[in-house]
Amino acid sequence: MIGRAPGWIVPLVGAFALIWIVPIVGLVVTSLRPISEIILGWWSLQEFTLTLDAWIVVWDKYPLAYAFWISTKIAVISTIIPMLLAPAAAYAFHFLKFRFRRLLLILIINAFVLPNQVVIIPLFRLWRELGLIDNIWSVIIPFAGLSFAWAVFLVKNYLEDFPNELIEAAQVDGCGPLARFFYIVLPNALTPIAAVGILQFMWTWNGLLLPVVFLRDELPLTALLARIQGVYDRNWDQVAVAAIITTIVPLMIFIVFQRYFTAGAQTKSGSKE
Amino acid sequence: MATLELDGIKKKYGELEVVEGLDLSVEEGSFTVFVGPSGCGKSTLLRMIAGLEEITAGELRIDGERMNDATPVERGVSMVFQNYALYPHMSVEKNIAFGLKMLGLPRDDIKRRVAAAAETLQIGALLKRRPSQLSGGQRQRVAIGRAIVREPRLFLFDEPLSNLDAELRVTMRVELAKLHRQIGATMIYVTHDQTEALTLADKIVVLRDGAIEQAGTPMELYLDPANAFVAGFIGSPQMNFLPVTTTGTDAGLRLSSAELYALNVVPDGAGWGADMTLDLGIRPEHLQVGEDLPVRFDINVDVVENLGGTRYVYGSTASGKSVIAETRADAIPRAGDKVTVGFDPVRARYFNANGQRLRHKLAA
Repeated sequence: MIGRAPGWIVPLVGAFALIWIVPIVGLVVTSLRPISEIILGWWSLQEFTLTLDAWIVVWDKYPLAYAFWISTKIAVISTIIPMLLAPAAAYAFHFLKFRFRRLLLILIINAFVLPNQVVIIPLFRLWRELGLIDNIWSVIIPFAGLSFAWAVFLVKNYLEDFPNELIEAAQVDGCGPLARFFYIVLPNALTPIAAVGILQFMWTWNGLLLPVVFLRDELPLTALLARIQGVYDRNWDQVAVAAIITTIVPLMIFIVFQRYFTAGAQTKSGSKE
Repeated sequence: MATLELDGIKKKYGELEVVEGLDLSVEEGSFTVFVGPSGCGKSTLLRMIAGLEEITAGELRIDGERMNDATPVERGVSMVFQNYALYPHMSVEKNIAFGLKMLGLPRDDIKRRVAAAAETLQIGALLKRRPSQLSGGQRQRVAIGRAIVREPRLFLFDEPLSNLDAELRVTMRVELAKLHRQIGATMIYVTHDQTEALTLADKIVVLRDGAIEQAGTPMELYLDPANAFVAGFIGSPQMNFLPVTTTGTDAGLRLSSAELYALNVVPDGAGWGADMTLDLGIRPEHLQVGEDLPVRFDINVDVVENLGGTRYVYGSTASGKSVIAETRADAIPRAGDKVTVGFDPVRARYFNANGQRLRHKLAA
């Protein structure tokens, strides 16, 4: 058959996939075996018992459900903000003409080069002044703010290929700048907006540094995981449980929305390619 | 329906002047075609009329009213784009209705007008489809539907047929002509295809380098071109240009050429003189293979293009000048043959070295 992959491809790719999945298998197995066995290595088969002890301990000892709720709040709010505002900014920078456009764009994109660590001290002092320490907004604001650089850049790049005739057709049809954005650009820019959403969600869900510094009791999962790990005893099984719980959400999100990473631009204006 | 007047319209991008002080008036209900080679400013001009491009200087009036800074809707124009520009996320019906929705028309009104437009263009069966599910010709109809549904004062077409295949282009050309007769609106059409211009237009405006070379009816431009550019651009295949030299006086000049033919010309207007080198322009359809026309010379045949009903003979003269002649005879010359071609001097047009037309009386 034409276009059929050669036979050796499948075992080769399979082997690579196996290497990829080994850490995850290790994580799951670690969470399900008693600590006495894990010390010999999670792969050791001298003794093999499966137990849910670690899961029960973690569930009892740590406020996992609450941390899950905090994580969700932080990640969802700091994802929605750039999903709404980045396309609007990208549209304005790409299609509208106004004073200082270039300068403003450079200022926003410049935040690209700003690492998290740099903003921690000044932000910490600001939040302390404002009494925002241990308030989830102390994390959401920098999460959303720092995302604009790449989010605006990503959507604007996508709009580079956006057919200008569509904008002009809408203009002839009587759309002002806002109507053009809502009726024409937004419905045809779902791909980059979804990409912004997925990337930002992953980043904020997995974010550790800012929550650890700014939050005390309102801890998200990642910070809680760090706390579990912080204890001196050998509790690798419990750490594995926490890690699985933390990882499961981004994994699901990725599996559900991965088609947005592969979907092509939906902006064909109807001309013959 | 509307009249359009352009008064000293200019367009500059920085220092670059792409449209230079253009005057034109378009009559109510007429079909005007802007034609010219790429980069001549015809699309820019159309976009300025549409309100998509700022006018650097001059005045644009629709029905006598200054419209330089008006939005497309205030101008009452609608436009069909070269690649259709259908909204990909909307059904055909919504595409057509979108402009009306933006105008805030009542739902029933919109429905009725969309149905009427669909009826006119015979796209009723496609209303629920997306643009990606349509063929090129269907997309073209939808784009036209989107334009007519608004009942604009002025229709603008920007090379609407250039994305269609040859056969469909001919069909759509006829349909556009019918549509114009049916709705009687003022239409302005941009194309680089002189066939479209000749077949569709009431008035053709030939543009080059941002200026009007000539404006007139198709037959005026075909029979009475103002210069060599228009003469060469209108008509297909292109007009032949053959160098000739003049001797004699203003009252009567003798033209002779390297091809060993000669004829007499009585000047009618300025620009003529003795000892000049001119271009004699003769269209391929007037340069016939055979011995029966008054002015004759020989050519060596390079290629023969057989179109069935007629054939074009591509050849070169004794002095190496390429010419195209026509023959309707069944005996087809072959490459390498030497054939005699001839023309009637009545059909000849003369141009000076700058390409300006030199008018003449038919020699007595």
